[in-house]
Amino acid sequence: MSVPTIKRTVDMQIIAEWVAPRSRVLDLGCGRGVLLDYLKQTKDVFPVGVDLDFDKISACVRRGLIAYQGDMTAFMQAFPAAHFDRVIFSRTLEELSAPGAVIAEALRVGKAVTVGFVNHAYWKNRADIFLRGRKPLNPVYTTEWFESRPTNPVSIADFEHFCASQKIRITRRAHLSGNWKTPCGFAPNLLAGYALYDLTR
Amino acid sequence: MNDADDDLLENTRSEPGEVGLVEPRDFIATGSFTFDNGQSIPGFTLRYETYGHLNAARDNAILICHALSGDHHCAGIHSLGDKKTGWWNNLIGPGKAVDTNQFFVLCANVIGGCQGSSGPSSADPRTGQSYGITFPAVTIRDMVRTQKLWLDSLGVKSLYAVIGGSMGGMQVLQWGIEYPSFVKRMLAMATTAREGAQAIAFNEVGRQAIIQDPEWNNGHYPKSGGPRVGLAIARMMAHITYLSDTSMDRKFGRKAVAAHHKPAPATDVSELSMEGVDPVAPATSFNVQFEVESYLRYQGQSFINRFDANSYLYITRALDQFDLASAHGSLETAFAKVEAVTLVVGFTSDWLFPPEQNRAIAISLLRAGKRVSYAELSTDLGHDSFLLESPQLYDLVRGFLN
Repeated sequence: MSVPTIKRTVDMQIIAEWVAPRSRVLDLGCGRGVLLDYLKQTKDVFPVGVDLDFDKISACVRRGLIAYQGDMTAFMQAFPAAHFDRVIFSRTLEELSAPGAVIAEALRVGKAVTVGFVNHAYWKNRADIFLRGRKPLNPVYTTEWFESRPTNPVSIADFEHFCASQKIRITRRAHLSGNWKTPCGFAPNLLAGYALYDLTR
Repeated sequence: MNDADDDLLENTRSEPGEVGLVEPRDFIATGSFTFDNGQSIPGFTLRYETYGHLNAARDNAILICHALSGDHHCAGIHSLGDKKTGWWNNLIGPGKAVDTNQFFVLCANVIGGCQGSSGPSSADPRTGQSYGITFPAVTIRDMVRTQKLWLDSLGVKSLYAVIGGSMGGMQVLQWGIEYPSFVKRMLAMATTAREGAQAIAFNEVGRQAIIQDPEWNNGHYPKSGGPRVGLAIARMMAHITYLSDTSMDRKFGRKAVAAHHKPAPATDVSELSMEGVDPVAPATSFNVQFEVESYLRYQGQSFINRFDANSYLYITRALDQFDLASAHGSLETAFAKVEAVTLVVGFTSDWLFPPEQNRAIAISLLRAGKRVSYAELSTDLGHDSFLLESPQLYDLVRGFLN
């Protein structure tokens, strides 16, 4: 299975289970709208996506989705509290420069917030640092340091700590093993490759 | 979801063709029409063009709305020798983004205009004289309501889409508000739900240039005459607001005109000057020196040959007074009844109707619970960017319509 396909399906199925039918969903960093399109098809949601890139917005429009090109925080600030039933960050968190503030705004504008991210503390990433002394390089982290842009990787332990310190309630969590398919029930911060969280205030 | 690396756009496009020869027609409304300000006229004409065919269900019509200085001729040519195509020919045609094989595309000159539709330069049937400034004040809503009468007369049952940039975009929004169930899609580009002070200010300078020209004569002037100097200056100034610093610099820089043509300066200058209506003092040192000057003079000169000064006053007033927020209490309430799916497109270098004002339209529609997308194209061409030949823009429009 190629990595792009995994990226799509891993979130889609679990998030679709969490999303209520016909709810108002905001996908931040929606890309070309693959997830939103899936949620529209399977759950008949009111699909709203935000992204920075013109061509991605154009792809969303072609899919018949609602898409807004611009800054996600400024976008959320234009809406009253609880305007959306659910706000989704699917592999978006790592790209943000102030994720805490953005999540706080998402918790205001959304009744629930779903977050999906790659667990940076997965043992293979640790091994790259610990044994090779090198930046992780694998099908998930595909670029050498010199061809990467700044990202803000997060581990399961980091995220749990963040939620506890901010008094954010975790209502659901799903940890997936290194293949991003089977559930990972033991020592997730070490053994899980991917994590999904459902949050409320 | 970050999936930039997949979902490649399949290339299924056929080679686009041309609309080709077109001819304008007139819709003549014989009943009296009452304007927003309460005044009425005994009847009116709208000059229009159509491309493509209305289908049996009469639901494949796309209305194009033109901007301040535009007209009904938005695609095709009027004669085989015609070098100039309609103003949105790059977007409209067989196989193009607005596909005339699929859609019945229509465009009319607005009421108050001067390209064949009733306006200040038309004759008042009650007096036989031109209306001049006795023509009722025109609003964007008047433009839309008169066009609805025209579409009804053609048997159009609904609009698959209504599309426009700048003032055309204002009409698009008004269409969706005025006739919610009639309009299925709105596509508004480089527009605003209300102009900022700066845009009003520029329009006012244009109006003053016209009004202060003695030839304006309180709006009474013969068809061939009138405030040609004032109108040319208004156009020169307005034209700057449609461009950008970057695009003007790229096109003209500080290139001098005379230097290239030293051997025969006289012929060249007479070609570029405004034939006796040169607004600048004729002294040699104030003749055209820079290319940008000759360009603007040319724009002014060609405008006075096709545009009526009173129409310019009327239409700029309509632009300035358009204010959906104050007309309905708020922009969100203005859009409360809209049923159309909407796409708003802003352009990064547009400083006349800047991206923020386009964004505000999309946000208000969303807050009102409507289906609306917002895209922002990076260009450096200023307000006129919506007329740009951009495959990215074409793909967006095509994707929205299909």
